[in-house]
Amino acid sequence: MIQTVVKRDGRVVGYNEEKIKAAIRKAMLATELGEDEALINKITDRIGSRGSERMTVEDIQDLVELELMDSPRKEVAKRYIAYRDQRSIARRAKTRDMFHEIIEAKSTDVTRENANMNTDSPAGMMMKFASETTKPFVDDYLLTQEARDAVRHGYIHIHDKDYYPTKSLTCVQHPLDRILEYGFIAGHGESRPARRIETASVIACISLETAQNEMHGGQAIPAFDFYLAPYVRASFVEEVKNLERLYGEDFSDMYEVVLKDFEHRDLDGLTGRERVMQHAVNRTVSRVHQAMEAFIHNMNTIHSRGGNQVVFSSINYGTDTSAEGRCIIRELLHSTYEGVGNGATAIFPIQIWKKKRGVSYLPDDPNYDLYQLACKVTARRFFPNFVNLDATFNQHEKWSPDDPQRYLYEVATMGCRTRVFEDRYGEKTSIGRGNLSFTTINIVRIAIECMGIKDREERIARFFSELDRVLEIAARQLCDRFDFQKTALAKQFPLVMSKLWNGSDVLRPTDRVESVINHGTLGIGFIGLAECLVALTGKHHGESDDAQRLGLRIIGHMRSKANEFSERYEHNFSVLATPAEGLSGKFTAKDRKSFGIIPGITDKAYYTNSNHVPVYYHCSPRHKAEIEAPYHELTRGGHIFYVEIDGDATHNPKAISDIVDLMDRHNIGYCSVNHNRNRCMECGYEDASKDLRECPRCHSTLIDRLQRITGYLVGTTDRWNNAKLAELNDRVVHE
Amino acid sequence: MSNLRVIDIIEGTSVDGPGLRTSIYLAGCRHACPGCHNPQTWDFAAGRDMTVDEVMEIVRRADFDVTLTGGDPMYQAEALLPLARAIKAAGYGLWCYTGFTLEELDAVPGAAALLDSIDTLVDGPFVADLRDPSLIFRGSANQRIIDLHAR
Repeated sequence: MIQTVVKRDGRVVGYNEEKIKAAIRKAMLATELGEDEALINKITDRIGSRGSERMTVEDIQDLVELELMDSPRKEVAKRYIAYRDQRSIARRAKTRDMFHEIIEAKSTDVTRENANMNTDSPAGMMMKFASETTKPFVDDYLLTQEARDAVRHGYIHIHDKDYYPTKSLTCVQHPLDRILEYGFIAGHGESRPARRIETASVIACISLETAQNEMHGGQAIPAFDFYLAPYVRASFVEEVKNLERLYGEDFSDMYEVVLKDFEHRDLDGLTGRERVMQHAVNRTVSRVHQAMEAFIHNMNTIHSRGGNQVVFSSINYGTDTSAEGRCIIRELLHSTYEGVGNGATAIFPIQIWKKKRGVSYLPDDPNYDLYQLACKVTARRFFPNFVNLDATFNQHEKWSPDDPQRYLYEVATMGCRTRVFEDRYGEKTSIGRGNLSFTTINIVRIAIECMGIKDREERIARFFSELDRVLEIAARQLCDRFDFQKTALAKQFPLVMSKLWNGSDVLRPTDRVESVINHGTLGIGFIGLAECLVALTGKHHGESDDAQRLGLRIIGHMRSKANEFSERYEHNFSVLATPAEGLSGKFTAKDRKSFGIIPGITDKAYYTNSNHVPVYYHCSPRHKAEIEAPYHELTRGGHIFYVEIDGDATHNPKAISDIVDLMDRHNIGYCSVNHNRNRCMECGYEDASKDLRECPRCHSTLIDRLQRITGYLVGTTDRWNNAKLAELNDRVVHE
Repeated sequence: MSNLRVIDIIEGTSVDGPGLRTSIYLAGCRHACPGCHNPQTWDFAAGRDMTVDEVMEIVRRADFDVTLTGGDPMYQAEALLPLARAIKAAGYGLWCYTGFTLEELDAVPGAAALLDSIDTLVDGPFVADLRDPSLIFRGSANQRIIDLHAR
């Protein structure tokens, strides 16, 4: 006797025989003889009594088919089967349409969710099929009802939901020294410890590449200069030894010689030992240069994740003041300035200059010359960006200039902006840790829902209580995902969970990762503060002090709640100023459907990035800095300050350092300068004009117009989704 | 003290000299260079009157080095002198664009005194035939960037 029925989405409902009757009746009406009520009742009765207590919809339909086949009305059985097939195809139609979009390499928001991904390649398509079919699985089976509802109604967005079932973590800052000193095993090869700069740079690349396949976010090296410096010295010694063999003399006293800098100098006029040493230095410098060039080249060409995506890589550097470290920095910058291939701008890695007073910023600092070079490079190549080690929240009490391992206490950032530093379960550091997962809250939607309340106090109070409700849901959802992630076994992430993640060295392959992942962070993001404030006060924070005060109250509140969640759930919660590439249009589209076009709120295809003043709003860089700076302290999960400058930045590298000065003065954590850079792919002509279509020198129309999207560069806007393109077109320079 | 005629003040441009700068666009120009970038600034009545104090308030708020441009600031040289001195006294660097050549400025009333407060002069008319976008901070190749301290 059938009591309950398991529906296709897994829900269990009470058995209702009327549904079976209706289906049989429909099939009968499509035949010549028409309906036979007696037969309908007979079949339905038999199924109801003979079926087992709990049955799936499909099993019941199978029984109906069998009964009809056994009855005199075989033609009804045929209709019924045909009807079942049609329904089943119809149910898959959505999947079919989505597959067709991918197969035909159509450019849609499905295929352009991530501008760094080539979904036209076979591997890219394969991954997109998997990604799109995984998301509904997550909705149906891995999320709680409240999380599922919050997603469906557009209150929250779960980032990297397609990776949810894999239990992967987001990202990690690689402790490259562990890899370089002890070697590692990846794929079928065992790598020995590095002994020279060429090997070290290749191992750095392999480390990033391997980990990219084990995680769903970016890969970064937190102290590129410190890690590679020893291999500059090793290569120098190698060169000296070559010369010893050549001359048949002993130069072993040169192995440890203290040099002010490894810099190329002409050998003319040099004799004897001085000449030998300078030659070894010159050879070393040129090898380092080659190694840096190879590193950059590899990071732009070697694809991971089944061959559809280059590694989303970042490197932090700038604070190693040793001759060896400075050599790494200098040659890396020179190589970046020159470009890859025929001189095109390297898209990866995202480079980040670690700006620190006394080290790498002020005119008397040991690395001031390299800082100046960095500004010149970014004026042409968009990188490096700048992370501010002097910001109050980025300082570390244990940092000391004489400590050779001081980089452990220097904040490092993911190029996209993700920041991991504070740790409730260990030393404050960025290294060997990362984010576990992100969920972003649509604060605009919450604000729109309160717009109708006339009384200001009441309206804002209502907003905060709704915000709290959604924050609680987001926190619980992040905890649920954590509880799922922690059940992963170390062997699922062979490199990350043996060498890279702090504490993972003691894990056996079959151990759960539970004991170590709590060093990671759970990020609660937000998007569209500007639109949220327009909804609540009529103005955004760029144009009104009142809105700014409320904006700070909102994000300050989110930060307090994050701290409260950290206590309550015993995890590292932090607030993220969400970059939201794939998200920038999703919330907006949904909200527009619910609420229509509201001026200043849903009248564009996107919501403004995190706490930024709107891209279309004209204001000076100083004003932008003053408005956005205080949010950096509140958003410990990551933030970025962008300035768009007019004109040709290569003519004016001081404009870049002036923007870094703004960061210094206003306690900003991380900044980046956007400008125009066009390059003719045929003849190499470069300029900074807006929207160059034809090369003025050779008249080619193959122009590479570089732009920045969620922190990384893309040479073509073909892979940008519609919302991001709309945002790009609205961007104004800050002057 | 006579007022200044100002079309606009841009806080934080990167095209009128090194670094981010506050550019003060002064109204009026009679050079009428063919191909001029913004002929709407030729009108001496364009923009609005501002006092030195009003301009200085913006300069201080923006807190960048300053560029006088226009129009041609040299037509208001006498009125500009107190502003230029105030800018220098506040510690900012000062650039000035003019369509006159440095030599021609000898005959422009008030120009000599103003030049004493200016660090760098970009001089000469815009000549369309000599236009070159690769030039730094200049429109055409005849124009010169002159460090006035080195005179």
